[in-house]
Amino acid sequence: MGNEMTGVEEKDILTCEDSENRSESPDQKKKKRKKWTSSDWTLVGMASLSLIFLAVFAYAPLYGLVLAFKQDGEYINIAHMITYGSWSGLDNFKEFFSNPDFGNIMFNTLGLNILQLLINFPCPIIFAVLTAELLSDRFKKTVQTVTFFPHFLSWAVFGGIFVLLFDFDTGILSSLKVDLLGDPNAFWGIIICTSLLKGMGWGSIIYVAAIAAIPQELYEAAKIDGANRWHKIMYITVPSIAPTITLFFILSVSGLLNNGIEHIWVFQNQNNIERSEVLDTYIYKYGIPQWNYGYATAIGLVKSVVSFLLLIGGNFICKKISGKGIY
Amino acid sequence: MTKLKTKEYLHKLTAVNSDEYTALKRFTLPVLVIFYVCFFVFAILGNIEISEAYSKIGEEYVLTEYGKSIYLTLDIIFYIFCGLLPIALAATGFMIALIVLRKKEYSRHFNKSKLNRRIYPFDVILAIGMGIFCLLCIYPIVYVLAGSFNQGMDYSRGGVYFIPRVFTFENYKAVLMDDALWMGFLVTIGRTVIGTLTALVFTAAVGYAMSRPNLKFKPFFYWVNIFTMFFGGGLIPYFLIIKSIGLYDNFFVYIIPGLYSVYNMIVLQSGFKSIDSEIHDAAVVDGAGELRIWFQIYMPLSKPILATVALWLLVGHWNSYFDTMIYTNSDNLQTLQYYLLKTIQTSSLSEGLPSDMAERLSAQTVSLAAIIISIIPVLFFFPLIRKNFSSGIMVGSLKG
Repeated sequence: MGNEMTGVEEKDILTCEDSENRSESPDQKKKKRKKWTSSDWTLVGMASLSLIFLAVFAYAPLYGLVLAFKQDGEYINIAHMITYGSWSGLDNFKEFFSNPDFGNIMFNTLGLNILQLLINFPCPIIFAVLTAELLSDRFKKTVQTVTFFPHFLSWAVFGGIFVLLFDFDTGILSSLKVDLLGDPNAFWGIIICTSLLKGMGWGSIIYVAAIAAIPQELYEAAKIDGANRWHKIMYITVPSIAPTITLFFILSVSGLLNNGIEHIWVFQNQNNIERSEVLDTYIYKYGIPQWNYGYATAIGLVKSVVSFLLLIGGNFICKKISGKGIY
Repeated sequence: MTKLKTKEYLHKLTAVNSDEYTALKRFTLPVLVIFYVCFFVFAILGNIEISEAYSKIGEEYVLTEYGKSIYLTLDIIFYIFCGLLPIALAATGFMIALIVLRKKEYSRHFNKSKLNRRIYPFDVILAIGMGIFCLLCIYPIVYVLAGSFNQGMDYSRGGVYFIPRVFTFENYKAVLMDDALWMGFLVTIGRTVIGTLTALVFTAAVGYAMSRPNLKFKPFFYWVNIFTMFFGGGLIPYFLIIKSIGLYDNFFVYIIPGLYSVYNMIVLQSGFKSIDSEIHDAAVVDGAGELRIWFQIYMPLSKPILATVALWLLVGHWNSYFDTMIYTNSDNLQTLQYYLLKTIQTSSLSEGLPSDMAERLSAQTVSLAAIIISIIPVLFFFPLIRKNFSSGIMVGSLKG
């Protein structure tokens, strides 16, 4: 009885009783295939829903990656192109790497992302720590409410407001004769600042929750030991939320090449294209309106591979530094 | 605890006699109402009718008889308005002072446990910094409000940053007359409601199955799901799949691809796992099947996490515009956000306006008005979300 119970750990009561009645010894149980109960069928059915969905929307596109190695322009029907298109080897990749825009696009993509990682990742943490330091509870709530609000606006609205706000003729900078939106050098600044304004409050709630979970006794004990506020932040708050920080760091590293196309698309125009063209917008422009499916797929494949490597790398670095990764 | 009545402590604090206070209160509200009515009448008449008061002779505009009478009416309204202005301001100030005093008195009586901490310079600097950041978050909205109430021709001269210079409702009229806006609202609300509900049920079903320890082939299901988080086909192959299964330019392109996401499934699964398995055992003994246990026991029990995921889905559906751009072609499927983007980027005025109105409008003020109209539903739901997430998201984030 005892052996059997350990053999069938994590089973619910009914299945336990079934196996108890049926199997006499552990060896026999291994050989005998157990009959599926109706609950097994239901559960597998429910889990299979995800299989059906992913087969269509995640694994079928993976098969579509063969387009990266096919020639463009011969077939209008895509299914036809996937199956019968003539192979072009690595031509699509070569074309992209030898494109004069290639260096620029990679520079923009990586530069924008690294800046976002350096600025937009730590800012919500600092913001959460600082809001926790505010004295008045009511003010704290007001600050949170106000800073959350932009998150609920779309980039079309929030970005559109800034497009009108910085308009050359009517915007707030019109008297200074500064064309902020048409200036390629200002583009990265606009992207960083607007994403901070929109996302900082919302991004901080996870850290606010983590800070709220820290037991107050720690702070009281530290106060008795003579710690000032800086000590409390550095030796209690930050170490306590470190696991959360690690988790979200790895997640944001893996999204390093996803620039947020909805965000960039609003601010991109012909004047700042030099600094605003990133992989995502480039893939969209070449792929969908211009029908260069093979070429755009090849660039997409490069993007996927690089971000996968970045994910592995980020996880590796986190394991080295903090002793634990998430995978 | 002695509970002071409002009147009494107001009497104490402000040295206003309680009877006088009542009289004042009775007087204040009507004044405010008249003031605001005047304000709106003034605003509407002052801008919409004024240009009709002129008739064009040659190159110049001349004031007509009809126009003179309008100006007379406007003058009278203006004097009433000016006369009421100081009283209204005083009344508003009085109301604000009352609210502040009441709150103060309340906290003095009921919040005795408030910590008496010393205030350092750091606290002051921090509070000021936070205040500035909040103002930065709010200012874009203020700018949009000011611009949307300003007359178009006047706006294009520039300089409307905080309050409208020439007040008008014309922009809103122009936007509300546009059928594409209403179609956009319909599509967006439709996809948000249907998309959120179906995705929640679908994802929760998978999440429940994955949370059960006795699921067969669990590692297989798990890895099939996890793999897709790391490696995807990219935009073009995805687009081709959408096209080849007939979702292109179809309303369901908003619903079906969003049915499931692995990240949400993991969050929901961890929520279901945290429910005591004895509840499941008890339900099994009572003869409930897995489907019934999931839908009638586990779903109601994990409301906070469901609410969190629903909020993510809702915000995502309401805000996305790129799927409209990629996967649809026809005007009937335009979402509200895409409509806004188009009006802002192309500066296209809505068609079918009366020509006299179109002359005085500018594309920018019309798009500003459109932005305000699209924000109103968010403003309506925001307090609800704000109230609920303190319980929902906190739980969700800590467990997920």
